[in-house]
Amino acid sequence: MKVSRKLTLLFFLGPALFVVVLFYIVPLFLSIYISFTPMTDWNINRYLTQFIGLQNYERLIHIMMYDPDMRAVIITTCVFIAVTLVINVFGGLLLALATYFMDEKLSLAYQGLWLLPRMTPVAVYSLLWYYFFHSSGIGLLNAILMRLHLINHPIALGLDPRYLPWGAWFIIIFVNGLVGVSYGMIIFYSAFKSIPKELIIAARVDGASTGRIIRHILLPLTKWHFTFITVWQMLSLLTSFAQIFLLVEWRVVDSTWGQTWALYVFRTAFTTVKDQGLAAAASTFLSVIGIALGLVALKALGYKKMILEPKGDI
Amino acid sequence: MASKGLAIAAAIIIIIIIIGAAAYYMSQKPAPATTTTTSTSTSTSTTTKTTTSTTTSAAPSKPVLTGNFEKDVIAIGKYLESKGIHTVKFTVWATGDPNSVMRMYGLYEAAYKINKIWEKNGINVKIVMDKFWESSFKKLYDEFTSAVPQGTNGDFFVNSYIYIANLASQGYILDINSYVEKYWDSVFKDFYTPIMEAAKYKGHYYGVPQDTEARPIYVRKDVAACMGWDISNLAQQVKDGKFTWHDMFKKAEEAVSKGCAKWGLIHRKGSAHPDLIQFIFAYGGKLYDEKTGKLVLDVPAVYKWFATEYAFAQHKLLPKDMMSWDWAQQIHPTVVNDCKGSPTGCTLFFIGGTWHWTEWQTKAYYYDPTTKKQRPLTPEEEVKKFYYTLFPAGDPGDKPVTLSQPFMWMIAENAGKDNPNYNQLKDVYHELAFLMVVGASDPEINAIHSVISGHVPVRKAAAALLKNETWVNDLINMKINLSPDVKKAIEPIVRRTANKINIQFLANVSYMLEYTHLAPSHPLYPKLAGFFADAINKVLMGEMTPKDAVNYLIQKIKADPQLSANVEIVGSIPSNWSFP
Amino acid sequence: MMPEVADVETIERRRMNIMLGIVVLLASAPILVTYFVLIASSFTNQMITGGIIGQLTFTLENWILFFEGKLAVTAASVLSFWDILRYIFNTFIIAFGVMIVVTVLATLAGYACSRMKFKGRTFLIQLLILLHAFPGVSLIIAVYALYIFSKQPLPASAWTFYAFLYVIVARAALEVPMDVWIMKGFFDKVPWEIEWSAIVDGASRIKVWKDIILPLVKPGIAAIAIFSFIAGWGELIYVMVFLPATEKTLATYIAGLLAGGSLEVVHLPVVAAAGTLYLIPTLVFFTFVRRYMLQTSLSGIKG
Repeated sequence: MKVSRKLTLLFFLGPALFVVVLFYIVPLFLSIYISFTPMTDWNINRYLTQFIGLQNYERLIHIMMYDPDMRAVIITTCVFIAVTLVINVFGGLLLALATYFMDEKLSLAYQGLWLLPRMTPVAVYSLLWYYFFHSSGIGLLNAILMRLHLINHPIALGLDPRYLPWGAWFIIIFVNGLVGVSYGMIIFYSAFKSIPKELIIAARVDGASTGRIIRHILLPLTKWHFTFITVWQMLSLLTSFAQIFLLVEWRVVDSTWGQTWALYVFRTAFTTVKDQGLAAAASTFLSVIGIALGLVALKALGYKKMILEPKGDI
Repeated sequence: MASKGLAIAAAIIIIIIIIGAAAYYMSQKPAPATTTTTSTSTSTSTTTKTTTSTTTSAAPSKPVLTGNFEKDVIAIGKYLESKGIHTVKFTVWATGDPNSVMRMYGLYEAAYKINKIWEKNGINVKIVMDKFWESSFKKLYDEFTSAVPQGTNGDFFVNSYIYIANLASQGYILDINSYVEKYWDSVFKDFYTPIMEAAKYKGHYYGVPQDTEARPIYVRKDVAACMGWDISNLAQQVKDGKFTWHDMFKKAEEAVSKGCAKWGLIHRKGSAHPDLIQFIFAYGGKLYDEKTGKLVLDVPAVYKWFATEYAFAQHKLLPKDMMSWDWAQQIHPTVVNDCKGSPTGCTLFFIGGTWHWTEWQTKAYYYDPTTKKQRPLTPEEEVKKFYYTLFPAGDPGDKPVTLSQPFMWMIAENAGKDNPNYNQLKDVYHELAFLMVVGASDPEINAIHSVISGHVPVRKAAAALLKNETWVNDLINMKINLSPDVKKAIEPIVRRTANKINIQFLANVSYMLEYTHLAPSHPLYPKLAGFFADAINKVLMGEMTPKDAVNYLIQKIKADPQLSANVEIVGSIPSNWSFP
Repeated sequence: MMPEVADVETIERRRMNIMLGIVVLLASAPILVTYFVLIASSFTNQMITGGIIGQLTFTLENWILFFEGKLAVTAASVLSFWDILRYIFNTFIIAFGVMIVVTVLATLAGYACSRMKFKGRTFLIQLLILLHAFPGVSLIIAVYALYIFSKQPLPASAWTFYAFLYVIVARAALEVPMDVWIMKGFFDKVPWEIEWSAIVDGASRIKVWKDIILPLVKPGIAAIAIFSFIAGWGELIYVMVFLPATEKTLATYIAGLLAGGSLEVVHLPVVAAAGTLYLIPTLVFFTFVRRYMLQTSLSGIKG
């Protein structure tokens, strides 16, 4: 019995573990090692064996202490993560609920629409918002607002000192939110769809309103997913910058108030010299923060209670 | 249930077939030959050859470059043939605007020439070329640096000189100093000195200039006429340092206040490098200390630059969101459009590039008031509209400048790696690669490239060709002296771009190369340039005063220990200076 | 036969439909506007922006240029139609590869995490989500180092195939942890009794998983299939670093067009065409997979 149980476990868990260990965990530790080397420009042949201790970390801390933009970057990062997280999780939930109760075809159309930002190449996505939020009259937002006579002159929303930091924050949150929302939407929607329809029908027959169905059937059964989406999106927002990078490069948002910590590190480490040692140090630093935040979030959301004891090992 | 299972099975089978086909297809691509497999097979075939020339008895010794192109080519050919090699594969990786294809085909042309020499001398070796083009020069650099450790990079890397320092220090490109010295008298003496210097790293040549450009100030003739300003002698005045940026301000103000132009000054967006760096040089500053090898933050010059642009922006002569203007819909149209009756208005001055001259003829930026649609300009219209000068001196006593970013032919340190016996014949492959670069530096190739891509020639012989009426006429009549394949590839571009006016323009701007400066090729320079861009944006938007912006720069530099150690901060903000 | 959810109270349903439709439409306005601009710009001579509506003309040349590999109207052709097709083909390989690897691995492992007791289970589950705290961008240099080392013993003719395989598996590895979490959530919801009766009847764990449980978690599988396909379709960094520079995907090709130095010379409506084309396969895939997100029903299970 024992052997076959081990084999079964291997069958289920083995492939995933193998791949994750080899391509995720091993590189992760190797990256941490690289943060102790002066790695640049992919030159592993030369730098992989040079150990320089904590130099990259010292450099990182020095930058953080003395860079005049650092205060703004940190505040921006906090605001960005907090607000976008709320939008992503609750927006996704609302969209999932809305498309759940909708006609199937309409639901398909709307979900496809909200998935478009996620499906678009990052550069093209940034290009679209570049044109939307452009500081002059060619910006679509400006053009629409001027046509509606709400403003007389084009607004440089992301750049004008009069609107900083709120204008820049609005843009980066908006642009990321539209991408993030679809994540929760799909997962919550799938979760709702996996609740057997017998339950819903029974409730309807009993005369329950839509609100009650939501509160008492749909939401309680998706706690795990809620926890997961919250923690996952939080970590995503902490570490990703792809959508904001080009907005800063193309000067749609101010470089001081439009950068999150992740983007700041990327720009610092990867301008021409690929400062990969420094980037690894910054990433390790960021991961420690992320792991700490993640653990706190998991605890707060009652993760332990949700891990049910598995059954079935007779 | 059964049908679902069938569907899934079918999907899996189809996907496996796709993957299998992909694998098969991939494995059919010519693979880089490894050093071990092919050497034995080819040596047997050479013994049967009887037609070739004399000395099959004494095996030729490893060739050393002499400086005579034909002799060296023959020596290398004979040597390779004696080692049983009949095909040499080279790949060129190049980048840039779509009209700069000679960056690849120049080497194809060189290969053609070399193959012909070998054929004429009965040497049974041929060079076979392959190419790869990337439209973004930064991306090509990324691809190159991540490919070298894997050995999957191109043998030739044609890109901006700014990468030389980094690539050389990483050991990714060849030190060709000794080769260049051999060919100095016959070839490289002819190149413009500042451009040749840009190919150096720590005193050694690591590249050969391929092309360059200059950055003139374009002045609108119609706006000047409207203002009553006679600019027929302006270029000379700028050259003599008699027309400075203080005068630029006065004229810009006059143009706008008289209603002759909407804007006084327009320049590039996004980054400060390279166009705006000219301000630093124009105010007598520098960016690099040759003695220490460090970058320099020349505080007075940088301050004056910020103060100049600040003044222009505050007086509404320069748009305050200039750094975020759109190239295709704002910048170019504003520069080329008529002053009256166009949606954008016009500008008196534009800090532009020599390549814009042809770009305005190939892209539809000009708003035609009669058709109400956008179209390219004709060469005649351009001549009527634009006057061009050097970038003026900053203060009286300074000198005028321009800035060039030459492109370089670079040879990868593993060039020839896709060929048999690479490890033993390394030097020979490297020498052959260098000879190809020499071939590609032929004045005619350089001149043709200049014409079709709107770049400025890098050597005086090529510039002389541009001034040579016979040669120009031949070119316009498509009597191009190139190999058939290359000729076919560039014929449509030649047809579109070769005309007397454009060639005249290039000949006229060549003098600027004598005044040109180059941004330092230091690996950390791009970081500094990034700070410049952020700072000037804040200055233009009015977020910071010039003084605050300079202090911001200093803080940013000091914050990063690596930068701090590599950048000298020199001088202080001048107290008795104002602009305008 | 069990009535569909829709059969009950149709009037309330229609009213809700209309209300929901309108609300979501308003919320989707920015997306509708910007994607309309994207698609329409691929058919006009300039990018559609405010203020130049009058100067736009309809044209198909952007699409023609794109498929010819040209980036501007007067550009020389540095790519061919076959190159573009090859890029599209490469993108399919990566996308399907990643999707299959992720879906299979995560569905297997998710079941184990949900239903099987083993030492370190809680720790593993926590680890999987916290791995996401490490930014993927920095992981690349380490994955690159491993790639170089593992490539050495292979013959050069296998390099390209190995590169594709490596990209697929390495990218899949980044998606697996999150998808294990998602699948675990779905497996947890399956009532234990259903499994119990099958196991008591003598079926092996694997058989139970395959025949009984999987159909009940189809929506979950569909969700992770969609996400992993999108991930593979849009992968940039791994493709750029591991595949030979000549083997691009549609994603990396487009990224190259908009990268520094290229943005100034490329004709943007051609990029709009590329971007529009890029969206189509994913949308088709989404539509296809979504039918697996049907409402599950207990009555569909055989005894």
